[in-house]
Amino acid sequence: MTGLLAYFVFFATIATIYAIIVMGLNIQWGFTGLFNAGVVGFYAIGAYACAILTGPARDTLIGGFGMPFLVGLAGAALAAALAGLVVALITLRLSEEYLAIATFGIGLTVQLVALNAAGLTGGANGLYGLPRPFWSLFDSVQAFNLFYLVFVVVIGLLVWALLARLVRSPWGRLLRAIREDDVAARSLGKNPVSVRVQSFVIGSAIMGTAGALYTGYVGFISPIDFIPILTFQIWAMLIVGGSGSLLGGVIGSFVIWLIWTGSGTLLSRLAPPDLQAQSSAVQVVLIGLIIVLTILIRPRGLIGEKSAVSSKK
Amino acid sequence: MRSHFRKLAAALALALCSALPAAAQDCPIRIGAILSLTGSLGSVGEAIGEAGKLAVDEVNAAGGVNGCQVEYLLRDDQGQPSVGLDAAKSLVEIDRVSVLLGAIQSGISMPILTSVAIPSGIPQVSCCSTAPSFTTLAAEGGTEGLWFRTIPTVRPQGIIMAEKAREMGYENPAVIYVNSDYGSSLAHAFEEAATAQGLTVSSMVPYQQEQSSYRAEVSTALRGKPDSLFLIAFPADGANALREWLSLGGPQTLMLSNALRAEEFVSAVGPKYLSQAIGIDNSQIEGESVDIFEQAWSTAYGTSPDGPALHNMYDAAMSVMLAMQAGGSVDGQSIAENLRAVTGEGTPVLTGTEGFAQAKELLAAGEKIAYHGATGAFTFDEFGDVAGPYVIYSVKEDGSFGEVDTWDTARVDAAVQAFNDSLK
Repeated sequence: MTGLLAYFVFFATIATIYAIIVMGLNIQWGFTGLFNAGVVGFYAIGAYACAILTGPARDTLIGGFGMPFLVGLAGAALAAALAGLVVALITLRLSEEYLAIATFGIGLTVQLVALNAAGLTGGANGLYGLPRPFWSLFDSVQAFNLFYLVFVVVIGLLVWALLARLVRSPWGRLLRAIREDDVAARSLGKNPVSVRVQSFVIGSAIMGTAGALYTGYVGFISPIDFIPILTFQIWAMLIVGGSGSLLGGVIGSFVIWLIWTGSGTLLSRLAPPDLQAQSSAVQVVLIGLIIVLTILIRPRGLIGEKSAVSSKK
Repeated sequence: MRSHFRKLAAALALALCSALPAAAQDCPIRIGAILSLTGSLGSVGEAIGEAGKLAVDEVNAAGGVNGCQVEYLLRDDQGQPSVGLDAAKSLVEIDRVSVLLGAIQSGISMPILTSVAIPSGIPQVSCCSTAPSFTTLAAEGGTEGLWFRTIPTVRPQGIIMAEKAREMGYENPAVIYVNSDYGSSLAHAFEEAATAQGLTVSSMVPYQQEQSSYRAEVSTALRGKPDSLFLIAFPADGANALREWLSLGGPQTLMLSNALRAEEFVSAVGPKYLSQAIGIDNSQIEGESVDIFEQAWSTAYGTSPDGPALHNMYDAAMSVMLAMQAGGSVDGQSIAENLRAVTGEGTPVLTGTEGFAQAKELLAAGEKIAYHGATGAFTFDEFGDVAGPYVIYSVKEDGSFGEVDTWDTARVDAAVQAFNDSLK
């Protein structure tokens, strides 16, 4: 039983970190309609910023400043926000499809920079031996894991509270107005480009924060942590959960990550021992099938966005 | 008659004693393996997984470990660290495995080691991860002696190749390398060792895999006017890059990495351009223990064991089970200590069901054993690394490979030691 609990704490921590990224994407896509296909890039920038700020000094590295974790966390949000600002200023005049292609390229570029800027990122070998925040305060790993789950959940709730407030505010209504009809918003004297940039930057900063939380938890990052499939996973979480709904995004994160990892556990128990090596191919099929079915059965996601206008008269 | 009875009683008592620790632990003993069964390395991962299973099946046929049958739980990391981490955590916490095998990529093995294996006090033995960062972490004390790998790191290859470069009289070689943890580790080991040999590496040029052209990389490498080239690549990309190198007038004094010892590469470039080339590869290890493994593989799966790292995975699984048997325990510290003990000095034991049965007898008699595995005899050093023998190959006119120099484990160890000393 304790084992199951320990695993659940671990699972919930990773799922909550993903839920935070999904919240970042939700503000961009769910509320503003910005198709960010380079989610993993901003997550990576946050993760590396935190690792460089908090990591131990090594001869081969420029970074490794050994700063406290909270500095790393703030630095991660700031670095990702800056990256988001630059990307937004360059790309947000592009319409939907072009924005998707441009951001996809940016996501890949960030990973390639991580792979090649070895002096800063450790290159293919990654950054290792990174300190875990407040590790020394706990005498057992289980206690630390539990603490870290609480820590991640608190950060998640703060992000939630911030976003919930923002989307209820006049600014939030403006986001939705731009999402639904750019021209109409402009005719009312609003500046859609400026609002889009703000939304994109906030979303990016949230993704960067999640990156820092992952770094602090695992203590190691390398470029293969930031492969493009993560962008796809985050999107699956948002769409299955319900884009435009904060709760939906969070539920989607847990559901998709449970399917993604739980199907492996399930198959390893069901498959006969001789077929273990082959059963993983079934896992990938299963994941795809469940996502497709969810979208077919509930096209607006498990929890859809609340209707802003009363459609029933 | 009476003395017979006494002997019998003594034997019974002994059997009971040795059965006690086995009764104290839960059966079956579980071994978890995390490999990339799908994703970019899926094609090799499946066979690696089966190599581990073969070892477990053989041990079970020999009566299992400490009187317990061994269960082999294989999980897929999909080539993604977070998925691999989750698999490792569930293997340790829910399935209660005693040891973790894997992963393939260093970028997955490392997070599993630092956030699952070490905190849980569970040894991790990788078949395949070659990154030097594990050695550094172990030297810093960060692995707590729980990290092992049955694949030699690339560092000795770099050191030997630098020695060969000096022998050949090259003064400023260029290095073009595949930008992966394997490629960059080998390239930098070579650079370090070559500098220590008094050579100047004219340029270090990384390339990304599977590009249509490498003209830019090759031009960059040629800019330093190198007198030779160390090409660290996989066959298709390597041939692509080398054709550009030759067409841009690069010298044919080539040094090649292990993966280029492939027909595909030679026929794509043309053997006549490779007459001055030398290359380094893990030497084909021969011996009875290797034959037994390959025979058993053919019988079990009906194919020949040709894929990468199959032998290493088999040895990872087998040495772990020997360590459990030797310590009479599945406790993590005990396994880690005995992993070194069963590969150290002692009576040689070979692979296969019979090898394990023989090991059990020797251990029961209180003797020490030295496991000779599918990769030959090996010893884990203080950082959990193993050294292996190497061969220097050449390419003949007809495109086949020749051997121009062999480096056995002792010679490799001496070269590495000499280089380590030169750093001090």
